[in-house]
Amino acid sequence: MRPVWLILRKDLLVLWRSPALLGVLIAYPLVIALLIGLTAAYANAKPRVAFVDLDGIPHVVTVGGASFNIDHLINDVAKNVEIVRMSQGDAKSQLASGRVAAVVTVPQGFIADLKGLVSSPHLTLATGSGGITPRVRQQMQALVYNLNLKLQKAFIQADIEYVNLLLHGGKGRVLGHDFSIIGLDGTKRLLEQTPDSPQRKKVLDFVGDARLALALTNNAIRATASPIVLDEEKGEGRTSLLSAQVQAYGLAITITFLGLLLAAGALAAERDENAIGRLVRGLVGLGQLVVAKIGLAVTVALGVGFAILVGFGVAVEVGGVHGGEPWQRIPLVLVGVLFAGAAVGAVGALVGALARESRTASLVGVLVVLPVIFIGLIPKGIVPVAAWVSDVFPFVHAVRFFASALYDRSPWETIAREAAWLIGLTAVFGAIARLSVRRLAT
Amino acid sequence: MNTGALLAAHGVARRFGSHVALESTDLEVHGGEAVALVGPNGAGKSTLLAILAGALEPSDGTVERAEGVRAGWMPQRPAHYGRLSPRQNLDVFAQLERAGDPDELLSRLELPTDDRPAATLSVGNRQRLDLAISLLPDPQVLLLDEPTAALDPRQRRRLWETARGVRDAGGAVVLVTQNLEDLEHVADRVVALLDGKVIFDGPVASYLTSEAAGALR
Repeated sequence: MRPVWLILRKDLLVLWRSPALLGVLIAYPLVIALLIGLTAAYANAKPRVAFVDLDGIPHVVTVGGASFNIDHLINDVAKNVEIVRMSQGDAKSQLASGRVAAVVTVPQGFIADLKGLVSSPHLTLATGSGGITPRVRQQMQALVYNLNLKLQKAFIQADIEYVNLLLHGGKGRVLGHDFSIIGLDGTKRLLEQTPDSPQRKKVLDFVGDARLALALTNNAIRATASPIVLDEEKGEGRTSLLSAQVQAYGLAITITFLGLLLAAGALAAERDENAIGRLVRGLVGLGQLVVAKIGLAVTVALGVGFAILVGFGVAVEVGGVHGGEPWQRIPLVLVGVLFAGAAVGAVGALVGALARESRTASLVGVLVVLPVIFIGLIPKGIVPVAAWVSDVFPFVHAVRFFASALYDRSPWETIAREAAWLIGLTAVFGAIARLSVRRLAT
Repeated sequence: MNTGALLAAHGVARRFGSHVALESTDLEVHGGEAVALVGPNGAGKSTLLAILAGALEPSDGTVERAEGVRAGWMPQRPAHYGRLSPRQNLDVFAQLERAGDPDELLSRLELPTDDRPAATLSVGNRQRLDLAISLLPDPQVLLLDEPTAALDPRQRRRLWETARGVRDAGGAVVLVTQNLEDLEHVADRVVALLDGKVIFDGPVASYLTSEAAGALR
């Protein structure tokens, strides 16, 4: 193993004497990780939804005696979508072109139904096709749910007022018709003025029972409207920038970029510098050369990975956020960094052997790294094929290892599985790199 | 090896794809001998030298080196790490060779001792650095590919002295050259190649008056 160590030490010395290259190699993946984080945040943000008002909703609508500013109400509840008012024709065209993810249409008669408090008014939701549709549908269902929450108070109040009318009597209005009733109280008073008889007693008993039952209706109606109430507590979880996934992705992206490009570039550089001819004259075996480049990827990954972990740990402490064990789990994460660095180093060695010269290796390295990373970011539920493809590259296994090692209460099963994947990928890509590296020596 | 040769090539040939760089060639190099490989560009000289050095695998044939013989190889193009200084390059290869004294070679070949990257040195200095690396194992067989191409007259004389020193100590020198002065000052024997084939193998004096030399001019 002495030649491996000597070549590794030489590569580290070369890297040390190339601070600009080293700086770019470290900064570039961090910038990419940040951009991907921002893109992910944007993807999780507000899709545009067209709002088509065919009923001419007034700014203020009074329902069951309560007044609602419709614009404010929609803005209030539409936290996860960007509502854009437009005509029916524009909405149809923009949905077709994908500029809006969905169209919500308020049909004619909506406000009349809403004010009538008798039948439920309807909204129409039209969605496009593609991966974002299920999410938009969920968000629109949430929007209607939140609208209902706001409106149900008015509906409940109206129902309770009807019950009170039945109890105490008075004037009311249903479907545009005014009426006046005496209520159970008036009925009782009238009955008490009539001569005593068994029939009178039975009717009085019924009136008493009915009054008691209706007196309980108030709470029953509220409970029926909301069988389960969700009380929201102020969250103490991490901000998205400190979340487990962001840390795991940031670490994995940096290591994948660094490890792959360094191993590919360093191996191809042996040929560029014409040193490979000297090495293969019995000084260093081709297999040892591949191992040395994998070792370079591992060494740099461990150094940079440790710095990133410390950086996140400090940010977590300074931010005073809870959850995870930023310091205690560092050794475990570094084991993952070692496996991940070896696997991406093996892929890099293969790229370097096939590319044969370092500029091509760098270009091919970037061309390989980006799709490997992006394909690993696609959720399995949206494109299952992407998950299968990403399984044969180290990135996604590194992400799972890091996320589990950082935050799972019992990570052992996950990290054992992902470590096995990474070791297997190192062996496979390393073996192919060993076979391919002969190209460098010719 | 029972011929007494320090280095022997038996039927070595090399193809790069469909292009034949070197046809089947036999060559023996004995102790106390300096052999010059001559020929026009693309004749197969550097290919043959790299095969003799073990830096390039032949497509056919074998190369034998006498047991325990140490060989040093100086290729035509710079073959060292451009970002490392001459000193660091010599250290790396000395450790890999488990031999050599970088300080002595730096001094003997008058190489820069500062921390400048080798890539920033002049062509001549880089050529001398390559020569220094090839001398690290204290070679008994020295394989040089156009070693004087970028050297000034003083450094050229030093190189000839070094090559003669190896030969006179019972070792062997094989050098690729286009330079008649190299033949005069170092070589005892000339092997001329044309289109991958050996067309002459004999003493320098015979070569200079041969048809092969005329053809190659």
